[in-house]
Amino acid sequence: MSEVTRVLSAIEQGDPHAANDLLPLVYDELRRLAAQKLAQDKPGQTLEATGLVHEAYLRLVDVEKAQHWNSRGHFFAAAAEAMRRILVERARSKGRAKRGGAWQRVDFEKLDVLTSVSPDQLLALDDALARLAALDHVAGELVKLRYFAGMALDQAAAALGISTRTAYRHWAYARAWLCSELLKDA
Amino acid sequence: MIVIEEQARSLFLAALEQTPDAWPDFLDESSGGNSALRARVQELLRAHQAQGRIDGGDSDAPAASLDHLHAERPGTVIGSYKLLEQIGEGGFGVVYMAEQQHPVRRKVALKVVKPGMDTKQVVARFEAERQALALMDHPHLAKVLDAGATDRGRPYFVMELIRGVPITQFCDGNQLTPNERLELFVTVCQAVQHAHQRGIIHRDLKPNNVLVTLQDDGTPLVKVIDFGIAKALGPERLTDKTLFTAFAQMLGTPLYMSPEQAEMNGQDTDTRTDIYALGVLLYELLTGTTPFDKERLKEASYEEIRRILREEEPAKPSTRISTLGQAATTASANRKSEPKRLSQLFRGELDWIVMKALEKDRNRRYDTASSFAADVQRYLHDEPVQACPPSAMYRFRKFARRHKAALMTASAVGFTLVLAMVGLAAGTVLVLRENRRASVARRHRRPRYPLARSGIPPAAALGELPDAEDSFARSAFVLLPGRR
Repeated sequence: MSEVTRVLSAIEQGDPHAANDLLPLVYDELRRLAAQKLAQDKPGQTLEATGLVHEAYLRLVDVEKAQHWNSRGHFFAAAAEAMRRILVERARSKGRAKRGGAWQRVDFEKLDVLTSVSPDQLLALDDALARLAALDHVAGELVKLRYFAGMALDQAAAALGISTRTAYRHWAYARAWLCSELLKDA
Repeated sequence: MIVIEEQARSLFLAALEQTPDAWPDFLDESSGGNSALRARVQELLRAHQAQGRIDGGDSDAPAASLDHLHAERPGTVIGSYKLLEQIGEGGFGVVYMAEQQHPVRRKVALKVVKPGMDTKQVVARFEAERQALALMDHPHLAKVLDAGATDRGRPYFVMELIRGVPITQFCDGNQLTPNERLELFVTVCQAVQHAHQRGIIHRDLKPNNVLVTLQDDGTPLVKVIDFGIAKALGPERLTDKTLFTAFAQMLGTPLYMSPEQAEMNGQDTDTRTDIYALGVLLYELLTGTTPFDKERLKEASYEEIRRILREEEPAKPSTRISTLGQAATTASANRKSEPKRLSQLFRGELDWIVMKALEKDRNRRYDTASSFAADVQRYLHDEPVQACPPSAMYRFRKFARRHKAALMTASAVGFTLVLAMVGLAAGTVLVLRENRRASVARRHRRPRYPLARSGIPPAAALGELPDAEDSFARSAFVLLPGRR
């Protein structure tokens, strides 16, 4: 059984500390995968952050065993967080601070292959996410799960252990808040 | 009044429990007189509504989770098309060579659109144009054959397969002379005209969409591709996936984007938008570079790009060649010429033709692709072209608009200075006819606005500019050298 499957199994069985082990494992795998894909440098590649997350899932988890586990959600939550960190790292190393505000920055040919958002935008997004999370923690988690791990609302709700209905309310707020944030600077 | 975001949030969520028409009253009651709070909640509610209208609830649909992994690849079958190999990647998707199975077996080009686009909308928009597109039949237009959605819900377009290279690349690779390039350009205009007559605007004309292929007898064949696709794909929408990219991705490439397109109200483009793009293409075919420097636009913010496109006059082709430096040598070699000769060749009519197509005011551009082509052909046949340099009056007015404040304080004597700034030397005779066109005999060329930098001495007010223009229009001025 792979390490991650073991951890998920432990979470499934109620081990409260097992979840902590997930992030480093997932983080490493995602970094490895992203680096691998980028090194291939094929002109036609369309990489997506969410695609990487799902590929990591297939690699790390015994899918058959994990199919019905609630703990699957933990994997994606960890993966979303890992992906976020990786992207922010990349953006910081690439990023250039320019006047005019990040949301006005347009960088047509250098849009990141992982998110099709420029480094500055990603950093601005990350910043906005942090502020949103401070206002509404669940909203922040939902955006992370949906944006970085590509989950549907109900899947994200399950991952967070809340009802879809509750998730929807947080999500509605998250969207409205982000939208008004973005329009502010445009 | 202070807005506590947590309060706004609670009110927002409470409002969501009710129908939108109950919101105004609800807001009145619950905001307790705090107008800032009320405004904030209203802002949130508006954002909420805008989202809902746009993605029609799609955001809550199950994401294509593990499907992400089954990306299209050679061998995948989409509809009645089997993907063979990837042949390119554009800003909004990947292009494959594919084999159509039925009703007829043939090779086609299949473009799958990147995720983040609202598929239903895209396909719907395409369907709306499909009839018109089907009517297009021109030797220089690649036909768009079909459109649909993949199993994973991504829109795709099927087009006639064109094995060719971008026109700019073709011309450089074969070192075509300016005249040879102009001839190819005429065929591009003819193709665009055909589409315009059927009510189809391209909106994304650029070298990558104007391909040249070699026929069996070795003659080049121009094929304009992607008609009907740019329109179907835009304007960019705020789905939850594109929430963050919407503000970044403009429709079209800024290098070929017309001022009106940059204004982001995509509805406001018409056939003359394509004319502008054709102008950019011609500029590039002649000089090897775009009117606005690529590097510069890449670095600019969205606001700056809009400003540049709206306000800055690009250098005329003849001027551009002289200022290119090293690149001019390469460009000239690709045109079997030298920088100086090219500059001389462009000066005058070719300059005027190109700049007419690039006018900021679309009413001043060529109004049809065929009138554009006609003027180019006149040039090729040594006939007088219709494009002409902007009249002295037009230039003066443009200048006046930009420097109104300074001009208002210039004295009548200083009028000479003003004329000098508009690029007319002392000793110039201006004869203005009844129809307000000016023909100018120039003896000396002065750099533009030489005095603007040194500052205009303040003097008695000149009076309302329109009057000055009118009297200007009705008289002939002779300015003697040495007069201040």
